[in-house]
Formats: sequence, structure tokens, C-alpha cells
Amino acid sequence: MSPDQVYPPREDTYLLARAAISEAGESDFVLEVGTGSGYIARSLQESGIRVLATDINPHAVKAARSEGLDVVRTDLFMGIRGPFDLVVFNPPYLPTRAEERIDDWLECALDGGPDGRSVIRQFAEEVSGHLSPGGRVLILVSSVTGFEEVMALFRKQGFQVDIYQKERVYDEDLVVLKCSMKTGG
Amino acid sequence: MKRSLLPILCCPTCKGDLVLSVVEEDESEILEGSLYCSACGVSYPITEGIPDLLPRKKNI
Repeated sequence: MSPDQVYPPREDTYLLARAAISEAGESDFVLEVGTGSGYIARSLQESGIRVLATDINPHAVKAARSEGLDVVRTDLFMGIRGPFDLVVFNPPYLPTRAEERIDDWLECALDGGPDGRSVIRQFAEEVSGHLSPGGRVLILVSSVTGFEEVMALFRKQGFQVDIYQKERVYDEDLVVLKCSMKTGG
Repeated sequence: MKRSLLPILCCPTCKGDLVLSVVEEDESEILEGSLYCSACGVSYPITEGIPDLLPRKKNI
């Protein structure tokens, strides 16, 4: 394994893990997309929650499996059907220009495309097809990526979006957004 | 991967069902094997307990 090719748990990871543990019900089946080190999924599993973890990075899936998790290597929802009661995602969100790309596995955990929202946009378009009725999404967003813009992406897909938790880390605000499918709509 | 995961997984290309083949299994899960999509004619490997469901070309 190459640990330097896997995003290590940081403030954003801990914030999303706390939110996920608080949100997940004991009978929920949770999907963590882009699990990286597996920290969030393992925190859920240790709380007695059933969880499946995915990542595109071959080093990350090995790291997550060594934490005792059920792991699938895939790209967002490609090989995943569901349904899940809760989907948790700490996405790559750093705005990255083409000439800044270095093309390694760790970059998959960071590179959000030119506006930082490329992966989030695709995730927002696809996630509802993998949720059970009443299913929810928890996603971490940074002020670097734009809260309003990300909230708009999910509202466009028919989600009700609320700020679940917020934390200031150095010069960056981190929020966890909770996206719920509107019922009866 | 645990056998119970099979209904949750699908072919990453056509989203169809996958057929499980087991090479090595312990008391709790499948360690080596494959997931085959008959519609696409593609076999996705399970290695060290991890299914790899990234799109790939048809097997020879």
C-alpha cells in the first residue's frame, strides 16, 4: 500500500464523520462514496451502522478494507445499485486548472475541476437514483467551492437542502449539507 | 466482499445484473473471484476481497 496516495483524515473528515454518526439511524444502510482512508465509514460501522464504502483509488480501497470495511472500487455510482438510506460524500472540491493537474491518485481526492464542483455536479445528478424513499445525503462543502452554488446543484435535482453543521478551519469555512428528497413532489 | 452485497452491485456500463464466480472464499466473504456481466461480456475481478467495478473492455 502507498499511504501517501490516500487522503488522510483531516478536519473536513472529522466534521463529516460526526455529522454522519449523528444523522444515521440504527437500521440505516449507508453508502460512503470516496471513502479514502475509510475513517468516516469505520466510524459509522463502529457505531453499529451497516455501511458500504467505495473509492476509485486502488490504494484507498485497500486502506479502507484493512479497516475491516465492505469496499467496492468504482467511480461514484457506476457499479452501485442501492438503495441506501443515507449517502455520505466528502468530495474532491479544490478548484483545479488543467495545467495544475499532476495526475496521481491523491489528486482524485482533491481535484474538483476548474470551478471545484465538477465531481459534486455529477454526484448531485446521480445520487437520487440510489436512495431509498426518505433517503438523505450528507455532503461536505468548503467556502472555497461555494455554498450557494452547491446548494443550487442539489435543489435543481429536487432536494431540500439544509446546512447541517458548520466549522471554521483556518481561512476556510466547512459545512455539511443535508439534502433530503422532497416528499409528495 | 460478502455475498449479501451482490444485489446491491451492478455492471458499471449497462447497469445489468452480475453473476458471481468464486475462486476463494472464507467463512464470511469472497476473497478471489469475479462478477460477470453477460450482456456486456465483461468480467470484473474480485481481488483480495475487493470487487473492481470500473468499466473495462470485453474479455477475449
